[in-house]
Amino acid sequence: MRVLSLMGCLIMLAACGPSDEVSTSEAEPPKDESVAFASTYSPYPSTPTIIENATLLTGDGGRIDGGTIVLVDGKIDYVGEGSPAETPEGAVVIDAAGKYVTPGIIDIHSHLGVYPSPATDSTADGNEIGSPNTAEVWAEHSVWPQDPGFSRALAGGVTSLQILPGSANLFGGRTVTLKNVPARTVQGMKFPGAPYGFKMACGENPKRVYRDKGLFTRMGNMAGYRAAWIKAAAYKKKWDAFNEEMQSNKDDEEAPDPPDRDLELESLAGVLSDDILLNMHCYRADEMAQIIDLAQEFDYKITSFHHATEAYKIADLLAENDICAAVWADWWGFKLEAYDTIRENAALVHAQEGGCAIIHSDSEFDIQRLNQEAAKAMSDGNRIGLDITEEQAMAWITLNPAKAMGIDEQTGSLVAGKMADVVVWNRNPFSVYAQSEKVFVDGALLYDRNDPARVPQSDFELGQDLEGAGQ
Amino acid sequence: MRTDPSGRLFWLFLCVLLSPSIALANSVAIMNGTVHTVTDAGVIEDGDVLIEGDIISGVGGNLRPIGDPQIIDAEGKVVTPGFFSALTSIGLEEISIDSEANDTRPDWEFPLSAALDGTLGFNPRSTVIPVTRVAGVTRAFVTPIPAANVFGGQGFVADMSGTDNSVTKPWAAQIASAGSGGAYLAGNTRLGAWAILTEHLDRARLFAADPTAYRRDEREQRFSLSDIQALAPVINNEQLLLIGAHRADDLRRVIALKAEYQVDVAVFGGAEAWRVAQELAEAAIPVILNPLQNLPSNFESLGSTLENAARLNAAGAVIAFYDSEIGFTHNARLLPQLAGNAVANGLPYEAAMAAVTRNPAEIFGVGDMLGSLAPEKLADVVVWDGDPFEVTSRPEMVIIAGKIMPLDTRQTKLRDRYRDLTRGDLPPAYRR
Repeated sequence: MRVLSLMGCLIMLAACGPSDEVSTSEAEPPKDESVAFASTYSPYPSTPTIIENATLLTGDGGRIDGGTIVLVDGKIDYVGEGSPAETPEGAVVIDAAGKYVTPGIIDIHSHLGVYPSPATDSTADGNEIGSPNTAEVWAEHSVWPQDPGFSRALAGGVTSLQILPGSANLFGGRTVTLKNVPARTVQGMKFPGAPYGFKMACGENPKRVYRDKGLFTRMGNMAGYRAAWIKAAAYKKKWDAFNEEMQSNKDDEEAPDPPDRDLELESLAGVLSDDILLNMHCYRADEMAQIIDLAQEFDYKITSFHHATEAYKIADLLAENDICAAVWADWWGFKLEAYDTIRENAALVHAQEGGCAIIHSDSEFDIQRLNQEAAKAMSDGNRIGLDITEEQAMAWITLNPAKAMGIDEQTGSLVAGKMADVVVWNRNPFSVYAQSEKVFVDGALLYDRNDPARVPQSDFELGQDLEGAGQ
Repeated sequence: MRTDPSGRLFWLFLCVLLSPSIALANSVAIMNGTVHTVTDAGVIEDGDVLIEGDIISGVGGNLRPIGDPQIIDAEGKVVTPGFFSALTSIGLEEISIDSEANDTRPDWEFPLSAALDGTLGFNPRSTVIPVTRVAGVTRAFVTPIPAANVFGGQGFVADMSGTDNSVTKPWAAQIASAGSGGAYLAGNTRLGAWAILTEHLDRARLFAADPTAYRRDEREQRFSLSDIQALAPVINNEQLLLIGAHRADDLRRVIALKAEYQVDVAVFGGAEAWRVAQELAEAAIPVILNPLQNLPSNFESLGSTLENAARLNAAGAVIAFYDSEIGFTHNARLLPQLAGNAVANGLPYEAAMAAVTRNPAEIFGVGDMLGSLAPEKLADVVVWDGDPFEVTSRPEMVIIAGKIMPLDTRQTKLRDRYRDLTRGDLPPAYRR
């Protein structure tokens, strides 16, 4: 499990060896005492389910017409044409003729829970804007699990999502990856085994927000990053040395004193050791190129550029560096660095050899309709002759974000053995009229449009005079 | 020769210029499409739309074009009136966050409010305009945003041609915020918002009754005369008052306000309008809403639902759509997607079509010339390559007042410049 790799062990000051490796394919991972704020999520009970006669868009570019998918014990048990050799006992059979089945939708960029509804001063917990570097904060410590936005996103088919801190800071803090499951605590939503992510931001926001704190320009932004990475590298070196010493330490020897912990540098060092995946908020092509060079200077990996409204200008550079572009279909103009968006942005990134396109929401509204956003981006690409199929575009909101979030071994495509995160759509999800009918998370039916008993309602909404609302 | 324009020669010249027999007027015949007339004629399969000059000369099946028009084969295509954005600031803001490129609102301490005239900030060369029109939106109600007090000033109807004369109807409506939006601008309480709103209307009534006496009365000096004067058309029922409100009880107060002041009122926002649908319909108060609003975004919109549009329509209320979120101006072009989602949530298709064409035209007082495909109307016509509401459909042809619009924009030029990333003999800057 990536999060438990070297730095994680050191952070918790626990001597941990290979025996602590937890298989992420476990349905119910034991709570990991060596990790702070560990996931306590475990799948809800499920009935074996056979969904047949469906069009399957498998998320990895595959399409099966007249397909069958079988969900057993929270896992995908079978995916294919026709019927499986064995059918599980007591299975519910859903005839999905005329319907579509896809992996649960994944949003790599959400602020649900940290900027929840209702949006008030007392709920705005998404950005610790006191300083350009707040690498020490963790988004999960702000997530309000009762945000009604989670259930709306579930109705939109979203089963996994990454919650990020806001983009005021150069270093915004750690992200958290959640399963979209109603829970009393954020620990009860945390995606078991998901690596941590980290949020950084380029461009206009930091220089606007920190004008009064001596940060005025993009070159100031760059200097701020570099100064912090220099410190983080030194911090990592100290801990690496300590760890090495611990490894070679004999039982009869006195254990060496660990270096002092620094939460800010700990997260940055996690990025440098590839344990924490870097999400880089950046709009302009030239700035993304600067950030790619910055990552080379300090030898770390950028997993994805977020917003990346000019990704199409450097689609080749992104592909060469194995960086995904997580973009909107068509948002633009709200600030100058978002002026050059084109509707074909995602499609042109996708069309690049080795390109990785992701459609993200950054919105409590658009997260409910990522299928429509992908449909728009696909159709605009096809109008310039890119020949993008629906099954390919489905990857933009399933397997590609799963890869960029480091959870693609567990979810993101309809493959036997993966988590049964599955959506049944009443029609082709690339239509504006499509609606999810059923959403399974780890095989459990957590949303059913036709069964009010399977539509979650947050504590906040319970008992309000909402008869007929909340849909 | 006399140069007096009332002279006979002048009128003779004008008649010659406007005569349809002279081939100056362009003429277009859109043939064999699925034509959504948004009139009693409904949808005409294999329908034709004939355009002479800037107006529609015929709509029907098997029409015979007169003269030698440009023939557009619309077989397999869908033909609709140009879509009409009911609330946006297109042309008033190029870059939302950049105050130098945003004229939508004054600072909060600015002394004037209702007097602000949106047309004075309108830039028909904004890049937002072509981006909007190529998506099938040909007209918009463009408005300033209340920021100095509950009144925001006067919005106008404009076409999306990007030409110098693109204001269709100046001063079409005065905009005001009630509810928590208004509260924010009035002492942080909706009590303040209603007090300021009604006080201004009371003053405007006094002013309208006797402007000279009002100007002389020193007690009135504490109000800006320009603001009060600007509200006279509202109080005289000559200009629409557009009030932002979400909560059901706020909407009831809007209904009461209309009855008390006998003014023409429409609502925007209206998250809980479905709860007051019957009353709004009976009071003939149209609702401009965001069909995607389904979250309790704040305490006045707890009753938000995706079925708002469907329920209002079922109760007989007139509805139109806008994007209340980040797409307010730059993605006003996504009107078809809003309509499609309203349909997916129960709004009859033709009602959704009216909500993006005829209804906003009628709300803003230009329904006699826009909003549907009928003879004598201005020829705002869009030919779509599929169901207009579908997220995978796009316009193939956009006609504004009879003129076929170019389909390129700054965005398509950027796309074409970077479509091919190979180095080439010259940098991308030489591709245009």
